[in-house]
Amino acid sequence: MRRFPAMLALVTDAFGGRGGIAQYNRDFLAALAKTEAVSSITVLPRHAPDLSAPPLAVVQLPARRGWIVYSIAALRTALFRRVDLVFCGHLFMAPLALLIAWLKGAKLIIQTHGIEAWRCPSRWQRAALEAADLVLCVSRHTRAAVLSWAAVMPERVIVVPNTVREVFSPADGSKLRAVLGLEGKRVLLTVGRMDSRECYKGQDRVIAAIPDLVERGHDVHYLVVGEGTDRSRLEALARDAGVSERVSFLGPLGLQSLAEIYSIADLFVMPSTGEGFGVAFLEAMASGTRAVGLDFAGAKDALADGHLGTAVSEKELCPAIARLLDESKPDPITLATAVRVRFGSKTLAASARAVMNRMMEAT
Amino acid sequence: MCGINGIVAYHPASEAPDENELVATREAMRARGPDGSGAWWSLDRRCGLGHRRLSIIDLSARASQPMTSEDGRHVVVFNGEIYNYPRLRAELENDGARFRTASDTEVLLHLYARYGTEMVHRLRGMFAFAIWDEELRGLFLARDPYGIKPLYTANDGWTFRFASQVKALLAGGHISRDLEPAGVVGFHLFGSVPEPFTLYREVRSLPAGHSQWVDPAGPREPKPFANLAEVLARGVADRVPAAEIPDRVRSGVLDSVRAHLLADVEVGIFLSAGVDSGALLGCVRDAGLSEIRAITLAFEEFRDTAEDEAPLAARVCEHYGANHIVRCLREQEFIDDLPAILDAMDQPSIDGVNVWFVAKAAKEAGLKVAISGLGGDELLAGYPSFVDVPRWRRRFGLLANVPGLAFLARNFIRAVAPNVCRTHPKALGVLEHSGSWAGAYLLRRGLFLPHELPEVMDAEIAREGLRRLKPLQRLAASLTPDPDSDIARVCVLESAHYMRNQLLRDADWAGMAHSLEIRVPLVDFTMLKVLAPAIPSLTPGSGKAALAKAPAVPLPGAILTRAKTGFGVPTGAWMNAAVCEGSVPEGRVLEAKGVISRRWSRAVLNGALATKTPVEAHAA
Repeated sequence: MRRFPAMLALVTDAFGGRGGIAQYNRDFLAALAKTEAVSSITVLPRHAPDLSAPPLAVVQLPARRGWIVYSIAALRTALFRRVDLVFCGHLFMAPLALLIAWLKGAKLIIQTHGIEAWRCPSRWQRAALEAADLVLCVSRHTRAAVLSWAAVMPERVIVVPNTVREVFSPADGSKLRAVLGLEGKRVLLTVGRMDSRECYKGQDRVIAAIPDLVERGHDVHYLVVGEGTDRSRLEALARDAGVSERVSFLGPLGLQSLAEIYSIADLFVMPSTGEGFGVAFLEAMASGTRAVGLDFAGAKDALADGHLGTAVSEKELCPAIARLLDESKPDPITLATAVRVRFGSKTLAASARAVMNRMMEAT
Repeated sequence: MCGINGIVAYHPASEAPDENELVATREAMRARGPDGSGAWWSLDRRCGLGHRRLSIIDLSARASQPMTSEDGRHVVVFNGEIYNYPRLRAELENDGARFRTASDTEVLLHLYARYGTEMVHRLRGMFAFAIWDEELRGLFLARDPYGIKPLYTANDGWTFRFASQVKALLAGGHISRDLEPAGVVGFHLFGSVPEPFTLYREVRSLPAGHSQWVDPAGPREPKPFANLAEVLARGVADRVPAAEIPDRVRSGVLDSVRAHLLADVEVGIFLSAGVDSGALLGCVRDAGLSEIRAITLAFEEFRDTAEDEAPLAARVCEHYGANHIVRCLREQEFIDDLPAILDAMDQPSIDGVNVWFVAKAAKEAGLKVAISGLGGDELLAGYPSFVDVPRWRRRFGLLANVPGLAFLARNFIRAVAPNVCRTHPKALGVLEHSGSWAGAYLLRRGLFLPHELPEVMDAEIAREGLRRLKPLQRLAASLTPDPDSDIARVCVLESAHYMRNQLLRDADWAGMAHSLEIRVPLVDFTMLKVLAPAIPSLTPGSGKAALAKAPAVPLPGAILTRAKTGFGVPTGAWMNAAVCEGSVPEGRVLEAKGVISRRWSRAVLNGALATKTPVEAHAA
């Protein structure tokens, strides 16, 4: 009888975690569990601030925050459990994952997301990645970056993109518009972290474009969703540009509110220069809202090279926003369906099956 | 001989391929197939295949490609020749297969339907092909055991592309031109780009004797189906005495030549005054071809000197009753053709100029197919490397393994004999590399040695390129399993590296630039299996002597005697003059051939990096 592998997943966060990487890990591990090609998945996170129940066949252990504590917990978990497959959810943990895979004679899968993999990492991380049986990249850009510094067979490096959850679907946003006093306005929206150490999401670029858009005759209002230390800088930028009354910082939103806010926007704009993928693009388009971003890095994947959304250079950003605001809004259902065809749960399920098939072939 | 290409949008997130891209890639290979072109798309348009045709077997339109099986499940594009296709066809027909054409291409479709990916073990010939399986939604690619025919692939994580030429893939406009450090370093080490690398990171060569499968789960790692070292190792185990060498060579070569004459167009031959091509001409006669035209390249500089090969070649022609065409080459023609040569060079190579001109001559004579003696030196121990590499291993092997000694010796020679460093730069690496077969071979064949790279290229690229290429491990890996015979080891190293990455690539781009199929009967995996038990018993000269006697009427003795002293060609000097802008200063220290090659390599690499695709050239 065929014995399906038992997986140990070393992740920064997954179930009960926040942010894009946690979401990706949740979606991917749940999809793996659904393939029924793994007998069990044991998840060891470093962070899990929220309560969340993992799906069947997935067990999440208590979070271990400190690096040493986490390593000891990982080794102890591996020692007392069957481990045939190690999933490493972040390049940072790759050496530890390789050590465990080596000790247990297990296969190793390493997941890469975005900027952490765009430059050559430490020697140990690189060596661990080069020894992996499979490397998953969230986008073609991250894959190309990994191949630029890693001496690894290209066939072992595959793209498993983000997926978009069912909660994001077209809805009538007119009531919320009225509540927010946005009736008759052209609403631009960005959803993303405002981290003063990164500053790559591009909210500053949108704020800078507002005066020009207004001059072109668009009565725009810009909604900024998210939290972070860069907010005060962005608020100052809006003040300096004389558009404070046209910019609203809504802070972080819960899932349901987030789904609703996507529906009231005329255009989702995220001219980011650091997207590993940019799942917010998918969420917006799955909600029936057009999206525009820069033709750079993972955003190109989320926007499907311009086939789903609009991907432009930084110079073309303002004219592109103006043009899209001039055009009539396409049918939201058609846009949402197109997004799900490429990035829906079926695609992720197919990717998860492909990953497991590849691992089976390798054994 | 043709040009093939294809695009598979395998990832569900990818856009269906663009028809313009398929056509742009295909048309960049127009010279490979001037007789016709075709394209095929799957019903969902997720897979497109393209083909440019050079008609050689079954010249009718029904044999055009891409060719679809009768039930529509399989579609093939194919570059090369399957020499045993009549026998395969007969077997398949016996099993109930129905054929619609007289081509070898259709045999591939039936074989795949019957044997699946295991079909590759039944093929004799030079081939690179791709078969789309509509039911499995997958693409099967394969390349012949020696790597005579090229096949390049590119995978961006969503979409898989392939073509017969690197430049054709780039012409499609969707592939990054980011450089591959391993390819650049490989070119500096060997004078050609070693597979599976190319000059570009995103483009790879499907290794010789490998197949690959691509389906919605993505391209799989190439899988080997043929291994030269394994055949030689088995041959060594079944070693035959030296007395049997002539018979083995005779039967093996004649059988191969007979197979290589299969064509529906005239087959000519490249003839030098050497043993290989002369013996092949004799075997062609023995195989029953009464009318054959032989092309010899002559150089104006050598007219009426002992270096001129034309008179001896004429004697061979007379000996075997062939029609002799002598094509005379002058330096001015070389200068005139140089831009076209560099443009036709798919990947940079420090050689291939002679093949360009002899192929040009064949084309002028109206030939579509020509036989070449390429491979004789690798197979029958004709190179000095068969003596040098084992000798260096014996002489310096022990010293090379003394830690630190190589480093000290290199610096000592640098200090006391700087002139030696300039005229014989590889002398510095003798102790460093003689400790292993791979190292000694690199020393013999290397253009530059690893320690020299930081001086001739960006040091960071050199370091990263060496890390990715792992030249010594790669050379050593080709000797697995170990053939356990000095001659057999060098035979594998020469065949799997110098011949595969340089000579065969040169024959491909230079031949194809003139729409000429170059056939190489001495590079035949079936023949290798026959000769393998004899190879370990070869001694210097005995292989070539056996080859000279392979025809029923042996080659004139003068050919064998003259061949031992070798011939010169002036193209090296022309290259040097071209690189030095036409003048070599008088009184200059006489430079080794290797030094000239190094200088020429810089020009070739710079030319390759500056080359634009047709699309870019048009935009400019």
